[in-house]
Amino acid sequence: MSNKYWNEEIETMPRKQLEQFQVERLKKTVEIAMGSKFYAPIFKERGITPESIKSVEDIRRFPFTTKNDLRENYPFGLASLPLDKVVRLHSSSGTTGNPTVILHSQRDIEQWADAMARSMYTIGLRSSDIIQNTSGYGMFTGGLGIQYASERLGALTVPAGAGNSKRHVKFIMDFGTTALHCIPSYATRLAAAFQEEGINPAETTVRTLIIGAEPHSDAQRKRIEEIWGAKAYNNFGMSEMCGPGVAIECQEQNGLHIWEDNYIVEIVDPVTLEPVPDGEVGELVLTTLNREAMPLFRYRTRDLTRFLPGDCPCGRTHRRLARFQGRSDDMIIVKGVNIFPIQIEKILMQFPELASDYLITIETIGDNDEMTIEVELAQSTDDFALLQNLTKEISRRLKDEILLTPKVKLVGKGVIPQTDGKAVRVKDLRQNH
Amino acid sequence: MKTIKQLSIFLENQNGKLSDIFNALKEESIEIQAASVADTTDYGILRLITSNQIQASKLLQSKGILVNVNEVLAIEIDANTSTFANAVETITKEGVSINYLYTFHKDGNLVLIIRPANLEHAESVISAKGLKLIQGWE
Repeated sequence: MSNKYWNEEIETMPRKQLEQFQVERLKKTVEIAMGSKFYAPIFKERGITPESIKSVEDIRRFPFTTKNDLRENYPFGLASLPLDKVVRLHSSSGTTGNPTVILHSQRDIEQWADAMARSMYTIGLRSSDIIQNTSGYGMFTGGLGIQYASERLGALTVPAGAGNSKRHVKFIMDFGTTALHCIPSYATRLAAAFQEEGINPAETTVRTLIIGAEPHSDAQRKRIEEIWGAKAYNNFGMSEMCGPGVAIECQEQNGLHIWEDNYIVEIVDPVTLEPVPDGEVGELVLTTLNREAMPLFRYRTRDLTRFLPGDCPCGRTHRRLARFQGRSDDMIIVKGVNIFPIQIEKILMQFPELASDYLITIETIGDNDEMTIEVELAQSTDDFALLQNLTKEISRRLKDEILLTPKVKLVGKGVIPQTDGKAVRVKDLRQNH
Repeated sequence: MKTIKQLSIFLENQNGKLSDIFNALKEESIEIQAASVADTTDYGILRLITSNQIQASKLLQSKGILVNVNEVLAIEIDANTSTFANAVETITKEGVSINYLYTFHKDGNLVLIIRPANLEHAESVISAKGLKLIQGWE
């Protein structure tokens, strides 16, 4: 056995065999989901039985499942197992309606930990690592999900939790932390906390960052890597699928391998819901193959991505997804133009004069929708011309990317409001939104 | 080079921002010797000479304020209008182009803070003309 893989047989399984493996697991999952009040009548109506599943293509016989289905069947309507077999519940905050509740059996928790441990192994983490988790240990799966996985890997795991950057700094210095799990915006904020204490984050023991839960551009990743003098790997997960551990960038850093032994992966046009031609951008749709408390079929993730073509030099056969291009519901429409915040971020990150935080505000002025982008400067200057040219050049490059010219406003450090959760990037103040 | 350190602070136009800066300096008993604000509609640059530029810069940065430390020329002359006019005429005649200028009083004399387009050239002209350049005081 090579020490390159956590599970060599699964990770390098030839495609044909992997698909057969998926078919077997899909049959099993259908059998389990017949215990669900939500899926049982659907299966009956569509004639879906374990025996009727012959190939991966049969997935198209299933209807899509949406977040709204989870909300309408709140809290336990999609459970496939009786509640006495369920050991864990994770839930969204429910700020926009009923929260979504995800249930886990003991086996689900173990399989989840194993998948995320595999992701950690893939980026070179080993039992000798000291892994510090900056995610909140509550309903957010980035807390416990990473904890269980890191322990399964055998690493010393520091459940430091969200917030309190000073304490994170102290722990990293005192414990010799080698890897951090954080959302990308926190990676830059924590680096700033080090700088405030006169410590260069690149000179700490941290050499790996697991970043995810927030869409970010490759430029932002490179910036994080430079500040930290470490490798940063994009980690993808979502609570509906378990949590972190669904897909990970390997050390090639070219796309995220999605663990296809655990999911059937489709990419569809968000409007027609038909599969997009291979390689084109669409909405990621996932079917769980290794979960029992609450399996989901053809779940619409709202994340936009595409398959990367070709084989990965790392030897893993699980297909690679391109960096996420935003969420289909993050899309903002201004003056008839579809814009994703990540497009704007990609441009802003090209300017070394700028820091990582920005805020897009859209408001109605007169009869027009106007877009203002506030972005934090990375450093002060004595040169006015430089600042004026900078705003002009940012506007010009943004126009090339998003086809309209926003107002660009430079602001100082800390002006853009921060929250301990995900960064707020868009403020839509238009009356009809 | 005979220069002094100046702090250039980026300011977004936001009520109370200037007070925050001056109060922070006051609390650490750092004296402000000269201050100048230049602005556009969206932001400005506050230029400061204080009794301790290094300490002031560290203090403000620790409060999350963006500070740039740069070099300017400080010419000390008699505090009267004709000396002022003569000094400026003397150096601009020699081709020194001035980006900005502000002044303050020091021990009965007048100090001209000048940021020329070309620092080295300006410094050699000023020295050659026998004007007194203040060096590196904090």
